[in-house]
Amino acid sequence: MSSDLKLTFIDRLRILRETRFGAFVPVLLALAAIWTYFGIAVPIWDYWGDSDAESIRFIFLSSRNIYNLFMQSAVIATLAVGITVVLLLGDIDLSAAATAGVCAALLGVLVLAGVPAWIACLIVMGVGIVMGAAQGVLVAYVGIPSFVVTLAGLLGFQGLMQKILPTGNLNVGDPFIRGFARVLLPETAGWALATACVLIFAVLNLRKQGQRRQKGLELESSVAVWGQVTFFGVLMFATVATLNSYRSVPLLVVLLMAITTLVGWVTTSTPYGRSIFAVGGNQESARRVGMNVKRIRVSAFAIVGLMAAIGGIFGASRFGSVSYTAFAGGSLLLESIGAAVIGGTSLFGGRGSVWNAILGALVIGSLGNGLDLSGASAADKLMFSGAILLLAVAIDAVSRSGSTSS
Amino acid sequence: MSFKNTTVGHPAPPPHLRVSGIHKRFGGVHALRGVDFEVARGEVMALVGDNGAGKSTLMKVLAGAHAANEGQFFIDEAPVNVTTPNDANGLGIQIVYQDLALCENLDVAANLSLGAEPVKSGWRFLPHLLRPLDDLEMEVKAKNAIDRLQVKTLQSVRAKVGGLSGGQRQAIAIARAVGADCSVVMLDEPTAALGVAQTRQVLDVVKRLRDTGHAVIYISHNMRDIFEVADRICVLRHGGNVATWRTENTTPDEIVVAMTRGLDAGANNVV
Repeated sequence: MSSDLKLTFIDRLRILRETRFGAFVPVLLALAAIWTYFGIAVPIWDYWGDSDAESIRFIFLSSRNIYNLFMQSAVIATLAVGITVVLLLGDIDLSAAATAGVCAALLGVLVLAGVPAWIACLIVMGVGIVMGAAQGVLVAYVGIPSFVVTLAGLLGFQGLMQKILPTGNLNVGDPFIRGFARVLLPETAGWALATACVLIFAVLNLRKQGQRRQKGLELESSVAVWGQVTFFGVLMFATVATLNSYRSVPLLVVLLMAITTLVGWVTTSTPYGRSIFAVGGNQESARRVGMNVKRIRVSAFAIVGLMAAIGGIFGASRFGSVSYTAFAGGSLLLESIGAAVIGGTSLFGGRGSVWNAILGALVIGSLGNGLDLSGASAADKLMFSGAILLLAVAIDAVSRSGSTSS
Repeated sequence: MSFKNTTVGHPAPPPHLRVSGIHKRFGGVHALRGVDFEVARGEVMALVGDNGAGKSTLMKVLAGAHAANEGQFFIDEAPVNVTTPNDANGLGIQIVYQDLALCENLDVAANLSLGAEPVKSGWRFLPHLLRPLDDLEMEVKAKNAIDRLQVKTLQSVRAKVGGLSGGQRQAIAIARAVGADCSVVMLDEPTAALGVAQTRQVLDVVKRLRDTGHAVIYISHNMRDIFEVADRICVLRHGGNVATWRTENTTPDEIVVAMTRGLDAGANNVV
């Protein structure tokens, strides 16, 4: 197994994707490329092209725009995290955005009817779980392909949302629900939270390294350990500094990170999460070692339903209203599936992570935001998004076809 | 049975797993017609036969995947019942299927403890499925299993299975079976798709299994491999025993003749 052979570019890509943090690299590169283009290249271009301009205006990279970018991407990211879980199984959920729409509409109607907002949120989350799990039962026990079940779900739930909201629009003014998007953490709390996260991350990493040494296992190189901690720390503090310099860290972003951490932990560090990866990698293998493949499927669809409901609540909170076009009828579904896939989660199952979905959502959000700022038309936006999605899936396909032949 | 029962002879070591008079019918097809078979600890017993001779059926009966219509099972000469895969697992009988059933997207350590992942102590308030995995314990277990089988070319138990060679994958599938605390390992065509160097690697693993006191049942069509690793060779034909030879007392030609034509009058070197 000598590795001295000359490596092709695709081999390198494949090896990169197999490492623990390497899966982040393609999506980070895409993000860097988009930010460089819209943040630096476009303003300089405009400055040179326009003799009247007094100075270069970096609108895209201003802290105000970054703040908006985070808020715009939050709903997409919430759905993408859920969709990632079913993609890991090798299934797909086309109904997530419609589920989110039904949940948001129901939330609006319940609050209007005088139900306390927090109870309405819990009810809606329960409804989301049931909607997801019902589709999961059809996929797992009846044996209908998930594509078909969730396509039917997409159509049916779109109709259901219109039934709940005959006018197609409902304002949500409840302070509790608006609070998710409006409440800002005090600046010091943001710094404290970031410091705590970085410290916990560092302690966990170092403790693991110590335990490895104790048990005589192969060690991560200390460059890698400290590199990870440094990278994570820089990312956290840069984010908080940017958000603080405009307003401060919004509660919505903190909640999104907390939920993603929880889902990420469940999928990578528990027997349940391992079984999701096992089913996605080789269903027959999972069945032979005694995993209940059907129940795992249903539970994964229940998780998407829950995440869709949360996405619906976040959306209602951010827009201050529930409208048909913002959820079921708009581009939310394709953007969130696109976010999951651009993040590097394989459509064939077994490979991916919820953190990549967050980065993928940022890519989609940045693209839309940047094109808006540079005055591109809706047609340009659609075509750009299509091209980026195609590129992401191509990377997945290429790195996969290499890894199956040995 | 038209042939003399030659399975149990005096030079044979005491069997660990023994079955006798196994019949298996699939509707009108009589796939196994009173087969006797045995394997001892520290021995590699090759099971050969032409296509349709009943090798796979016998293997699945031993693994509990098919229930036999008639016949007795003995472990260390004590009668036991094997009608489901769980029975077989409980008795320490493990099978490595030809397709291996490994998860290519997971690393070696995760594959070796798949379905029986160790979790950290404490966390009792969570259901078992949601307790944190003990990945370090997983790696220690995997390293021990790999070291026991001396899979030398495997550099790290954290390598993804998708990036391994066919021989390494076979070795890992075997290690997974052995790791489940078993005494009988059945290998179905383990070298069928492998090149020369990788075949060597797998045969070394099979020898290690024998040396560590496992009873190994080795199903193959490849005479060269069989004559290299097997201690005894059991030939099946048309769902019945032909005979069992000690490897040093026979030749590939004789085995091939027995597989295709059964026992000739001249074949008298039966143990």
